[in-house]
Amino acid sequence: MSHQAIPLPPHDEARRDRAKMRLYVLCQAIGWGLFLAVQVFFSINFKTREAPHETVMLVATLVMVSALGLLLTHYSRAVVARLGWRDLGWRALFPRVFVMALVLSALWSAVGYGYTHGVLRQPWESKYSGWLILSISWINGATLLLGWFSFYFIYHLFDRFNRSEIERLRLMTVVKESELRALKSQVNPHFIFNSLNSLRALIDEDPARARLAVTQLANLLRYSLQSTQLETVPFEDELRVVNDYLALEQVRHEERLRLRLDIAPETLHLPLPPMLLQTLVENAVKYGISQRPEGGEIAIIARSEAGFLRIQVTNPGELPSLSAVVPRAVAGKPATSTGLGLRNAAERLRLLFGENATLELRSAAPSLVVAEALIPLRLSVA
Amino acid sequence: MKAILVDDERLARNELRRLLAAVPGITICGEATNADQARELLRTQQPEIVFLDVQMPGETGMELLASLEPPVPHVIFTTAYDEFAVKAFELNALDYLLKPVDPARLIVAVGKLTERAGPAPTGAPAPTSRLAAEDKVFVREGDRCWFVELKTIRLLESEGNYTRVHFADAQPQLFRSLNAMEERLDPKSFFRANRRQIINLAWVDKIEPWFSGGLLVHLKGGAKVELSRRQAQDFRENMSL
Repeated sequence: MSHQAIPLPPHDEARRDRAKMRLYVLCQAIGWGLFLAVQVFFSINFKTREAPHETVMLVATLVMVSALGLLLTHYSRAVVARLGWRDLGWRALFPRVFVMALVLSALWSAVGYGYTHGVLRQPWESKYSGWLILSISWINGATLLLGWFSFYFIYHLFDRFNRSEIERLRLMTVVKESELRALKSQVNPHFIFNSLNSLRALIDEDPARARLAVTQLANLLRYSLQSTQLETVPFEDELRVVNDYLALEQVRHEERLRLRLDIAPETLHLPLPPMLLQTLVENAVKYGISQRPEGGEIAIIARSEAGFLRIQVTNPGELPSLSAVVPRAVAGKPATSTGLGLRNAAERLRLLFGENATLELRSAAPSLVVAEALIPLRLSVA
Repeated sequence: MKAILVDDERLARNELRRLLAAVPGITICGEATNADQARELLRTQQPEIVFLDVQMPGETGMELLASLEPPVPHVIFTTAYDEFAVKAFELNALDYLLKPVDPARLIVAVGKLTERAGPAPTGAPAPTSRLAAEDKVFVREGDRCWFVELKTIRLLESEGNYTRVHFADAQPQLFRSLNAMEERLDPKSFFRANRRQIINLAWVDKIEPWFSGGLLVHLKGGAKVELSRRQAQDFRENMSL
C-alpha cells in the first residue's frame, strides 16, 4: 500500500500558522523585553562609577543592543527556514547552529561596540583592553543566541512530533476504512440477491435442489465472513466453498456455465490466503459467463511444482482492456470492481508470502483468459 | 395488458411469471433472454409492458431501451443489486423492481403504470407513424436516464447526429438526428423554428418581432429561439386559425 501524506485541511493549516505566528511574536517580545530589563537593572544598580549624566546614554545603548539582538534572531529565523534546518537531525543541526551563533554574536558585538565607541566616539572607560571586552561580549552573546536557538528548535521538535501524530492517526483511519471496504467487497451483493431470486423460483420447481442451494449459500456466506480473520486456509477448504459457489452460479446460469476441475491431490492441504481462489473464480464467471450470451467453460487447475502451488483459473473471453478495468459509472453496466478485487488479492498474497508470490491475468490463447496464482510452499519470512 | 419478460436467467423469468400470475390484467406474451430476442418480440408482439433485466450478457437493458425507436412501451426494470442503476432510477422516477421481487411491490408498480398511462400506447403504432404528446422517449446520458413524455419537451436542438432534448431541468442528448426526430413529431405541436431547433408550441410564452421580419420566440423556462422571415411566415400561418 502506498502511504502518501494526507494534507491537513487548508483551513486548519492556516489557523495553525496564525497561532504559531502569534506565539512567536509573544515569545520574542517577552524574551528580549526581559533581557533589556535585566541589563538595565544591573547596569544602573551595579555601576562602577558615579556618572548620572551617563545613565540616559547607558539605557539608550542597552535598548540598541537588545533591538539588535531581536533583529538578528528574527532574520536568522528566516534563514533557518530557508535552509531547511528545521528538518535536520541533532547531529547535523548542532554544528550549524553553533557556527551560526558565533557568527551572529560576532556581528552583534562588533556593531554594538563599533557604533557606541567608533561612531559615537564614547570614551573607553574600562580598565581592561577593548579586545578582551569584545571577546567576552562575543562569548556571552553566542551563549545567549545558542539558548535562543535551543528554545526555537525544541519547539519545532514538539511541533513536528504533534504533526506526525496527527498524520499517523489519519493514516490509521484510512487503512481501517479500506479494510472495511475490502471486507464488504468479499461477498458480491449482486450475486447474493440474484441467487436468492433463483432460489425462490427453485423452491417450486425442484425443492430438493432448493434445499441444497440454501445450504450452499449458507456455506459460502459463513466462509466469507469467518475466513477473513484467518491468514491462510488449506486449499481444500477454499475449494469446497468455491464448489458451492459454482453450484449456485450453475443454478442461475444453467447450461451456460460448464466446469472442469483438474486438481492434483497433493495440493489439497497446501495453504493459501482465504478468498483467493474465490476471487479468481468470481472474476472468471463475471467475464467468461455472465457477459457472454453463449456462456462457456471455467476450468480450475491446481498443481504443486518446484516449490510452488500453482493455481490457474481459465475462462473464455478476451482480456479486458485497461479502460474497461477502470470502474465505469455507466448505468446498467456492472461496475468493474473485479479489477479492484484482483488487485486486493494480489496485495494480500504479496504481504503474506513475499515477493515470490504472484498473481497475474493473461490471455493464453485466442478467446481464453487465464488467471494464475503462484504461491511459494514455504512461508517466506517477510 | 400484454407484457414480455426479458431476463437472461430462466429461473428469474419463471419466478416473475409466477408472481405476475397473481396480478390481474396482465398476459405474458413472450420471454427473451437477451436484447436481440427482446427486440424481435417487441416487433412481433407489440407488448405494452416490458419487464427488463438491467444486467444481461451482451447489451444491457438500458442499452436496449436507448436503441428503441420511440414510442417505447412501458418499462419496469428488474435488478438484483446495482447501485448505479438504482440511483439512476430513483433520480428520474423510473420504475424498477429489486430481485427477489416483493409481490406487493409488483402489484403497486403495475397499478401505477395502468393508472398513469391509461390504456397505454395502443398496441400497434406503425414505425413511421407520428408520436402523440403522451408518448414517451427514453433518453440516457452517462449514468442518468429518463422516460420523457413528449409534451414536457420544450425544445429540441440539433448537435450533429444527436439531438439535445430540453425538458424540466435537464437537457440530455438523444442518439437521433433532429431531422429523424422531426419526421416522427406531430407538426401541430412541434414547429421547426430553424435549421437547428424544433420548439414545442405548447411551451411558447411570448413572441416579439425581430430583425428583418423575423420573430423571437420566448419559451417558458427561459429559452429564446429566433425565427427567420420565412419561418416566421410559416409560424404565423400555423398559429392563426
